[in-house]
Amino acid sequence: MYSEDFTTDEMVVVCMAREIKDYDVMAQGIATPLVTNAYLLAKKTHAPNCTPMFHMGNTYVLETRPVSLLYFEKYVCTWAIRFQHSGEVTMEHLPSGRVTIEYFRPAQIDAYGNFNNTCIGDWHSPKVRLPGAAGIPEVSITYKKILLYVPRHNKRTFVPKIDFVSGVGFLDGKTTREELGFPGKGPYHIITDLAVLGFDDDTKRMKVISLHPGVTPEEIQEKTGFELIIPEDVPETEPPTKEQIRIIREEIDPLGIRRLEFLPADERDALLDKIIENELPKP
Amino acid sequence: MSDKLVSLSEAIDLVKDGDLLGIGGMSLYRRPMVLTREIIRKGVKNLGILTFIAGLPTDLLIGARCASRIRSCYVGFEMFGLAPNYRRFSENGELEIIEETEVTIVLGLKATLLQVPHLPTRGIRCTDVMKVRSDLKEYTCPLSGEKLVALPPIKPDVSIIHVAMADRMGNAHIDGAVWLDEDLAKASGKVIISAEKIVETEEIIRAPGRANIPHFMVDAVVRTPYGAHPTSCYPFYTYDINHIRKYLEVARNENSFSEYLNTYVYEPGTHEEYLDRVGASTLSKILL
Repeated sequence: MYSEDFTTDEMVVVCMAREIKDYDVMAQGIATPLVTNAYLLAKKTHAPNCTPMFHMGNTYVLETRPVSLLYFEKYVCTWAIRFQHSGEVTMEHLPSGRVTIEYFRPAQIDAYGNFNNTCIGDWHSPKVRLPGAAGIPEVSITYKKILLYVPRHNKRTFVPKIDFVSGVGFLDGKTTREELGFPGKGPYHIITDLAVLGFDDDTKRMKVISLHPGVTPEEIQEKTGFELIIPEDVPETEPPTKEQIRIIREEIDPLGIRRLEFLPADERDALLDKIIENELPKP
Repeated sequence: MSDKLVSLSEAIDLVKDGDLLGIGGMSLYRRPMVLTREIIRKGVKNLGILTFIAGLPTDLLIGARCASRIRSCYVGFEMFGLAPNYRRFSENGELEIIEETEVTIVLGLKATLLQVPHLPTRGIRCTDVMKVRSDLKEYTCPLSGEKLVALPPIKPDVSIIHVAMADRMGNAHIDGAVWLDEDLAKASGKVIISAEKIVETEEIIRAPGRANIPHFMVDAVVRTPYGAHPTSCYPFYTYDINHIRKYLEVARNENSFSEYLNTYVYEPGTHEEYLDRVGASTLSKILL
């Protein structure tokens, strides 16, 4: 039974969860409540044997508990199977392929899936110094499958030329990853608030796999800084089911923490106020 | 075995101008805040900072003009925003940034321990990190003929690490996530531990084999209850979100940032006075 009452953030969570297969081992980056939502949704529905590895503590956690802003550390530490050292993750489980997927949120991405999380403008005198790329420069080369997500699809993120290559996609589209000896196959899908995107097998250019309900080819092209491949018969993204929406709202993220990734700064502050008031103990 | 329990001031005497300072914990969690504030009070200069996922200590040390070099792969405040002093100083060209990634730090520390001139990675090739790090070199593996990148050693002069409990000798028990702290301690010239509780060795071995940092790696131990405030220390307290958000607001502006430093760093003569300023009601609210 498909839901007729869902929001964009819920659509994105459902699309992200659908990418996860049973028995996947999924890593998570910093400050990504959408990813937490997606992993928990997958585990509670079609992929019960998947194992999230949360950035917080580098812990494998099999218990599913609601997303929390203030008590996430308590959840992942209390239910941790193992506290891995950062070195254990970086040197062993990521390059060996034991961790099967990870989602990244690029600040900029080009038509060939190369992406930037380092700085806007020239690195030597940046307009904005972003938090940084963490493990992206290595895992974009070694991961078997990279997934990306962009909560707000626009020309600031989808650009003709990125300012700094933090993560390698398909380079210029001509040099192949195989030629370079890269173990990983590169970016697989990009989930945005407008569509599910992928890459053309031959040209390695970004193409639309499906458009979310209500989104037109003109709209997505208008909001993308380079020419997208949009097949004429591009399908509509399968909508969330009623049960998926119920689980997100009631069991995974009743406080709506996932929305923090969608909102502009001023609205985010108001939502933060609400979440914090809800989570801090009352006198 | 020697007793290493010392005063805060004696501990921070181990941190010298120009040192590469390793900082334990991650992001908003289990950061050595009391030790950081003491470094600022002492006016240590020209520090380099080495930390995996940097947050408040790094931003404070930059803003207080104690640190001028940053080696990290992420500096920020998660969902709450970018690091204000880090942004301001780096965008004004007042900060030397050594662009690290997770693997350059992890293998850099490992290379120090192995006493080898480099360790290899398959990663980083074809990224722009190669363009801004002339000390990383692509080379052909003499055994397989594959292209790899050589990563140089990183050796912190001194590291500051906060833990749940330690004994007077420095056997330190981290209760919860460990992140890079064990590797930092192993590779650092000196190690300063601050602990929520100082306990008998019997209490450390009550969980046999679980001391993350053994005594012989440690040079000084300081007792600091609530020593990670306003960051978290599992299993005792979560981060003080209201304090962090207020910090992010005031640190955007140089004047309000220096007021913050006065209120929470320079004026409180002791850690207890700092806790008084934070207030009992706040400290009770963040308890887990």
